[in-house]
Amino acid sequence: MTTVEVAEAPSRRLRVPWSGGVLWVILGLLIVAPVLSFLLLATSPRLFGQGRELFTLRYVSQALSGVTGQGVFNSLWVSLVVAVTSVTMATTLAWLIQRTNIYGRRLWPMLMWLLFLVPTWMMTLSWVDVLQPYGSASALGLSTRWLYGEFLGPFGIIVVLTIASLPFAYFVVSAGLLGLGSEYEDAARIHGAGRAGTLRTVLPMVAPALLSAFAISFAETMSDFGVPFTLAYHSHFPMATYTLFASISNYPANFSVAAVIALVLILTTIPPIVLQARVTRRRSYAIISGRAREVRRREFSRLARVVVSASVALVFVIGLGVPIAGAVLGSFMRNLGIFSSGPLHLSSVYYHQVFAPSIVGKGLSAPLLLSNQIALVAATATAALAFVFARRLMSRSAGWSQRLTDVLLVGSVAVPGVVLGVGYVFFYNLSFITNHVINLYKTLPLLVLALVATSLPGQTRFLAGPVSQIQPSLSEAARVHGAPRWRAWRTTTLPLISRVMLWGWLLTFAKTIAELPISQILYPPSQEPLSVTIQAYLGNFQLGTGTAMTVVGLVEIFGVIFVALGLYRVVTPRGWQRIGWSGVGA
Amino acid sequence: MQITHTMKRATLVGALLAATSAWLVPAVSSAGAATGPTLVVYSAQGYDKAAVAAFNATHPGFSVTLNDNSTGPLLQQIQAEGHNPKWGVLWVDGATAFAALDRQGYLAKGIVPKANFNAVGKANIPADGSYVPTGLTATGALVYDSAQISAAQLPKTWAQLTAAKYKGMVGMNDPTQSGPTYPLIAGLMNYLGHYSKGSTAAAVKAGEAFLTKLKANGLVINATNGPTIGAIQSHTIKMAIIQSSAGYGQELTTLPSLRVAYLNPAIALPGVVGIDGLMPKTVRAEAQKFVNWLLSPAGQHAMQTGDPQGDSLFWPVLNGEKPANKVLPPLSSVPMMTINPYVWGPLENTVNTWFTNNINNG
Repeated sequence: MTTVEVAEAPSRRLRVPWSGGVLWVILGLLIVAPVLSFLLLATSPRLFGQGRELFTLRYVSQALSGVTGQGVFNSLWVSLVVAVTSVTMATTLAWLIQRTNIYGRRLWPMLMWLLFLVPTWMMTLSWVDVLQPYGSASALGLSTRWLYGEFLGPFGIIVVLTIASLPFAYFVVSAGLLGLGSEYEDAARIHGAGRAGTLRTVLPMVAPALLSAFAISFAETMSDFGVPFTLAYHSHFPMATYTLFASISNYPANFSVAAVIALVLILTTIPPIVLQARVTRRRSYAIISGRAREVRRREFSRLARVVVSASVALVFVIGLGVPIAGAVLGSFMRNLGIFSSGPLHLSSVYYHQVFAPSIVGKGLSAPLLLSNQIALVAATATAALAFVFARRLMSRSAGWSQRLTDVLLVGSVAVPGVVLGVGYVFFYNLSFITNHVINLYKTLPLLVLALVATSLPGQTRFLAGPVSQIQPSLSEAARVHGAPRWRAWRTTTLPLISRVMLWGWLLTFAKTIAELPISQILYPPSQEPLSVTIQAYLGNFQLGTGTAMTVVGLVEIFGVIFVALGLYRVVTPRGWQRIGWSGVGA
Repeated sequence: MQITHTMKRATLVGALLAATSAWLVPAVSSAGAATGPTLVVYSAQGYDKAAVAAFNATHPGFSVTLNDNSTGPLLQQIQAEGHNPKWGVLWVDGATAFAALDRQGYLAKGIVPKANFNAVGKANIPADGSYVPTGLTATGALVYDSAQISAAQLPKTWAQLTAAKYKGMVGMNDPTQSGPTYPLIAGLMNYLGHYSKGSTAAAVKAGEAFLTKLKANGLVINATNGPTIGAIQSHTIKMAIIQSSAGYGQELTTLPSLRVAYLNPAIALPGVVGIDGLMPKTVRAEAQKFVNWLLSPAGQHAMQTGDPQGDSLFWPVLNGEKPANKVLPPLSSVPMMTINPYVWGPLENTVNTWFTNNINNG
């Protein structure tokens, strides 16, 4: 025995630094080097030929004053409100869906997934289509002018961003609740705790999930560009990502001011991560084991059940129903937004233009195919990497390297796409890199790398919860019974995470197809992705065709989801489809 | 039974992986296909795809590829690429960015083809021949809804736009998001400040004062042409000062009551093409062929038919060429003013920042 232990110890010491080193190289090439290339411009514009100063602080004061300073302040308080609201709503919804008898318990998680897939810009534009003067609601005889006024302001901004943050927070919290059998609540009640006392006992057990949800909601809101670019812009309510964009959309672009704003966005995510890390590492939160028990549901009375179910439905009507209905109706309306006392004028002309466009050579077929190919590769690579990073983050024996990885990954969530895209230009187009290392700039592989980089942080945090709840004893038991490492992983861990991996894959797939800022900057010449083509129509006063293209894109994404879920059912063993967390089928 | 089921599943997984790999081959192979010098056109023109396709069809042996984007992202990329550029040709509306690129030494000089330019075309050719106009629109065209306001009721001068009777009726775009809007503002400053040469300070102040008055009179600002015309369509405003082609395009499609008028002066907005001076000679030679072709009848035809309800609605800068659509009035009837891009180009960032702080968010 002693001989075996002595023989194993050195090999483990050698293996850990090697694998850690590889992950750091991956992280470095994907995120750190490009983002750092951009951020360095905050104080050293000369490094990348963007000015004469080797070191200056003048852009710091420039970025934190006037409208840009106001934008940073607005983003901070809005993100804080959104994070608190979305985590509170998510916790309530997760409890209602998992622990009560409300109607549609299988439907709501599915809708939550769909909500996850809708980009914020689309949600905003569709709401505008519905509420604007002579919009979809007006065509149906509803007067919405008062609501339109309210929607164009902080109230509308917070509502949309909260709904956009809700799915992530919900899935993280519901994963935490799922592993929490009713025995913990029972134990608290047996020891004399009331409802509040039980809550005080149980909530801390899902503290990592709550804090993780808070950190990501905050970071995602800080980095969101869809709402600041659309709703906030039209409300004259500057937010940080928009002022960042505005500072580099003139010629010459002021990359240094943009870098300061990006730095502020990243730094603001550190406090929530540090808090979460401290709480997580203080003790174990692993509650899924071979002995997890069934939960007991609270039974509402008939009336309460109807009221609560209707309230839950309202969330999805606001977040999903109205935007999708608005986009679909808008894409068929010839007189959308046009002053008219006449009836609704429906037409399919915009759908005809999707594949037979008025602009020569700008049809949707080739971009749609290309975007699907890119998304397939990016989603698969992201899923594999995210699992590896999630395991690393949730390791209880984490050292400084893991903690730094944690900070970097969540900090990266707050990096706007345009910063990552321009950072990729700076780094991968350096003469030294293109002439002596690899010439990837303006190729599809580089675009795929950047899209993986933008999805990896969120996906990792998404998997971190489910991964942290798998007790090591499961695979250890398999190893004790003689299973090799791969077989032990395949028969214990993989079944438990296969469903969440599938949904994570679908999420990256959908987000990659809808992604605009990075694709716009890095797409290879003459290989236009879907989002760039749609933007060309939306920006070229051809709103109807652009909206129809958006609807076609969404239908295609939902089609892929449907096929992927069907394949999963056919290909995987039945047992895999019943165990583990996916957020669906609670 | 169990073994048969497992084998079936393994076969299915294998087949899926094989099918997926085969499907990805085109994407992977096309990624590796870009070897040797290629000419990449960075363009924001609606008809660029049609033009590049027509050029490639008639010029075998050297394929031109296209980075089709809005003006902002294109210039961002050029600036970030710095001295290791990937663009061979830049083709966007407005000459101010070209003047800045020329000053920084990025543009090849003397690229103007021997073409039969008309007077407006000649007025938009720089002395060093570092860029070439390919067509012309006007920025600051007064686009109005004739169902809401008649031609007789329109203001006749720029100053009248600030009159109380037009309060809340006028819209314009945001120069940080709409490429043609900074040239409009620069043109207004040039005109209202009676600028001819020397310091621009007085002209800038005159322009700022005018925009401040316009704002006090209820100016409605939207990001780009689309939402600004949308505001006219929904009767939020009655008229807007935007790019002429946007007004004509909507008149031909969704809003037949839309009309385009011109205050004196409207500001000339040439579609401009320039060649990257840092590219290898072989690429520059091909770029020159492309530029020459754009000013040939075949090139002009591709431009005029590529985006018939949008950017194709321009005035040719060549004698003998006519506009693509009769909705455009004769160029001689439009009081057009050309600004000096070498004077106004360097002020773009400062002026736009002032606009953001004082007009859009003030």
